[in-house]
Amino acid sequence: MDRTLIRNFCIIAHIDHGKSTLADRLLEVTGLVSGRDRRAQYLDNMELERERGITIKAQTVRLPYTASDGKSYILNLIDTPGHVDFSYEVSRALAACEGAVLVVDAAQGIEAQTLANAYLAVDAGLEIIPVVNKIDLPSADPDGVAEEIEEVIGFDAADVLHVSAKQGIGTHELLEQIVSNVPPPKGDPDAPTRALVFDSWFDPYVGAAMLVRVVDGKLRSGERVRMMAGGLEKEITELNVIDPRPRRVEHLEAGEVGVVIAGVKTLAEVKIGDTLTMTSAPAEEPLVGFQDVKPMVFTGLYPIESDGYEGLKSALEKLQLNDASLVYEPETSDALGFGFRCGFLGFLHAEIVQERLEREYDVDLISTAPTVRYRIVLTSGESKEIESPANLPSAGELHCIEEPVVLATIHVPQEFVGGVLKLCQERRGVQRDMVQHGTRVQVRYDLPLSEIVLDFHDKIKSVTRGYGSFDYELTGYQASDLVKLDVLVNGDPVDALSLIVHREKAYSRGTELTRKLKEFIPRQMYEVAIQAAVGARVIARTTVKALRKNVTSKCYGGDITRKRKLLEKQKAGKRRMKRVGSVEIPQEAFLAALKLEDS
Amino acid sequence: MDYPDGVSAATVGVYVHVPFCERVCPYCDFAVVGVRTLTAEVERRYVDALLRELELRRPAFAGRELASLYLGGGTPSLCRPESLARIVRAARAAFEVRGPVEVTLEANPSTLERERLPGFRDAGVNRLSLGIQSFDDATLKRLGRAHRGDEARLTLQAARTAGFEALSCDLIFAAPDQGLPQLEADIDELLAFAPEHVSAYELNVEPGTPFATAAERGQLACAGEDEALAMWDAIESRLEAAAYVHYELSAYARPGFEAVHNQRYWRRQPVLGLGVGAFSTDPRGSRGDAPFGLRRSNLRSPDAYLARIEAGESAESEPAEALSPETARAEAMFLSLRTRSGLDAAAFEREFGRPPRGFYPDEITTLVAQALLAEDSAGGLRLTRRGQRLSDTVFANFVELGD
Ligand SMILES: Nc1nc2c(ncn2[C@@H]2O[C@H](COP(=O)(O)OP(=O)(O)OP(=O)(O)O)[C@@H](O)[C@H]2O)c(=O)[nH]1
Ligand code: SF4
Ligand SMILES: [Mg+2]
Repeated sequence: MDRTLIRNFCIIAHIDHGKSTLADRLLEVTGLVSGRDRRAQYLDNMELERERGITIKAQTVRLPYTASDGKSYILNLIDTPGHVDFSYEVSRALAACEGAVLVVDAAQGIEAQTLANAYLAVDAGLEIIPVVNKIDLPSADPDGVAEEIEEVIGFDAADVLHVSAKQGIGTHELLEQIVSNVPPPKGDPDAPTRALVFDSWFDPYVGAAMLVRVVDGKLRSGERVRMMAGGLEKEITELNVIDPRPRRVEHLEAGEVGVVIAGVKTLAEVKIGDTLTMTSAPAEEPLVGFQDVKPMVFTGLYPIESDGYEGLKSALEKLQLNDASLVYEPETSDALGFGFRCGFLGFLHAEIVQERLEREYDVDLISTAPTVRYRIVLTSGESKEIESPANLPSAGELHCIEEPVVLATIHVPQEFVGGVLKLCQERRGVQRDMVQHGTRVQVRYDLPLSEIVLDFHDKIKSVTRGYGSFDYELTGYQASDLVKLDVLVNGDPVDALSLIVHREKAYSRGTELTRKLKEFIPRQMYEVAIQAAVGARVIARTTVKALRKNVTSKCYGGDITRKRKLLEKQKAGKRRMKRVGSVEIPQEAFLAALKLEDS
Repeated sequence: MDYPDGVSAATVGVYVHVPFCERVCPYCDFAVVGVRTLTAEVERRYVDALLRELELRRPAFAGRELASLYLGGGTPSLCRPESLARIVRAARAAFEVRGPVEVTLEANPSTLERERLPGFRDAGVNRLSLGIQSFDDATLKRLGRAHRGDEARLTLQAARTAGFEALSCDLIFAAPDQGLPQLEADIDELLAFAPEHVSAYELNVEPGTPFATAAERGQLACAGEDEALAMWDAIESRLEAAAYVHYELSAYARPGFEAVHNQRYWRRQPVLGLGVGAFSTDPRGSRGDAPFGLRRSNLRSPDAYLARIEAGESAESEPAEALSPETARAEAMFLSLRTRSGLDAAAFEREFGRPPRGFYPDEITTLVAQALLAEDSAGGLRLTRRGQRLSDTVFANFVELGD
């Protein structure tokens, strides 16, 4: 394989700017996918991706392309997700490429992840090809957006390609530019083999599949490889390239991207970012890997049916085979029973995992309010990290609570700046700076992570009528005046509803929580007092009056069967309720309380 | 008490459903169709079908003594007296008749029906059940009823004149915007006519009815829990003060006038249901696999019903449900507890092998402790006053969940 004929590139953009659709066109013009196999966002093959119309996992495909210089090239394309929760996928993809196609929506212009991903690509030393997409839209302003790209990112507006991924306009020019501008892979084909593992997934037939980029040397089927960090040694049983389905090859050479199967049973044994080398002639230095992806958001997941624990456990185990970024450990709640504390990359990730558990593994779940990882400093001077309000030490032992903070970058058309500033202010944000680019403004805020995990993104969208976008990165921890807010029913704490909140928000959260619970806790035999408390101080209280009447009038002939079924339904509903002390709380009450808007 | 269907009480009750109403009330979820006038042609065809179905179904009840015949609906009184007479004759001929048979006819307060009352009496009806509901024009209007207060009054007088042995009146409460004072006025006015029997029903908003749609849109101002409870209390105290016995959750009677037919349901005695949407409970052992009886239900569409019967086929909408021991037990619990006499532990044990505590020890202990159930020294159970008002909560303890 002549390395000068290889081009490795990825497509990066803000969410929904058309990466996957552009990939579709490239698959078609290179003749890889045609006729019956065509479908929109071909590379998004997870059911959830197709349903939500977003990319969650990066995908790789090898395209054969004969350029106008008459030579036949191998283009290795990686389509990446645009959502901030999955930006680690972008970082990994970048490590396997020499070039990046930066797609910008011609109607939307530059948005938060456009910049975030562009900077990642620049930092990784990639050649960037800027593209304005969706020029077919009536609201498209390709020239304006090209100028914006020039002003904000520094490319010459004249060099920005105009493309419509939907209509296939500009795809040839793009392929030509990839060939001419993206450098062929460097690396030494004769040096000891080093291949970067930049993705992996679980295949029920062959175990862990590792997606690698060979940097130096060569991988050969049948030879033994060692994972330099993990230490594991295995024989390569299969090497594949994907075009667009896996195809067996005998070897992968420096510069190439492909899939290594080596009898590795579980994903846990594969460390993404590790370097594969040949056991027979090992390299000395591994390649630079990746930072570990760290969970940012934590929730307790509990089965709705009390006998669903084992099912949930095995579902989590199976899901983790495919999603190594999911972490979990057992947890118990007085109110909800046995469950797991799970860590996620972000709120979308949490939502997706829950949906997959419920759908693919058929477990009904209840999830506690998302929290972040707090750092607790004890009076003894010790410090520890907690991911659940339940683990907060008592006030006597507690010196202070530190919470993670992020730097949030928000892009918004000028007219909506006011709303964004107000929102950030409400979320305890501190403004860093504000820069104007044409009609758009970039605002940066230091914000507590806990204030953005739940619904910040939706809120940004709603105060900007969909035109705003945001990106964030973790910057550190800061001490804050945080308290634990407890909910009590008839004096018994409902542990699953405890929250860590800022003192100033405790009152409004407490009032909201008790109000919601009142709405959903049915009347019971006795009056139920619902209280919200910070320590021993009750800050909100409502009551659910005792049930005094529950009777259906008629009961004759045919009504008997129906009546019995209604009673069965009533009983089934009761069985699904969770008991706290003597109070029965329906699932809906938990769900409603846990869905509470962060206000 | 001939509980539940002792050998000595090998009786049958016949229920006949006539699905026609002059107009369909917006809260009604019975099997009914609106007909402006019931033509002689349709009437005859329907009654023919009923009699054919009777022939088809009677073997399961063969040899039993006819205890009651209930002509319900719908509005069976839209039928001409001759038609009803045919039904009464056929039912009497189909089974043993040894003593008096309670023959109830449901009727609404309309001019047409009022004029026919003497005819109905002659046809063999001895108990008239009138859908009075209220005397208040505004309430009746909101309920979408075809009649007004004055018609109700005239019909009550006419019924007395016609000389039925027993008069029963339906009263509705917790109707939209009704209010307690209005309900109290209705009760008082009704009592002035001194009916032998009163059924008081809370308006239930049933799924699929126009009222359900209105309720979803927030356009229905029905009484809340507290007000409905106050209404329940008012009905009970006023009727009890007037010497009526509250003998079942929604039924009141002067002593000796308890409805023979209705009690069959609470006592789980066999009932043969004929006509559109009718339900039956065939006696125990009527099929080898049905030691606790069979529940059957007919098609709810008149056309489909007629087609089947006229083809000589069964009009059942689904296969009969052979009641399981658990189902029968649950029904025994919640049906008998609906009544003032409550549950007879000895009879229960005879039927199911163990007394109630043998099946529901914890439930009964808790319910007694919560003052919802009263237990006598023999293990018999009754709802307390509080338990009556929370009866569904009590009953839910006794049903089985298949899982
Ligand atoms: N009109 C028009 N619509 C386009 C074009 N390209 C993409 N779209 C539409 O934009 C939406 C998003 O396209 P995707 O290709 O899924 O975007 P993406 O960037 O891959 O999104 P993520 O992977 O979720 O970040 C889809 O509805 C596409 O049909 C285009 O050139 N013109
Ligand atoms: S009169 Fe009775 S049966 Fe007929 S529609 Fe009204 S409520 Fe239903
Ligand atoms: Mg995509």
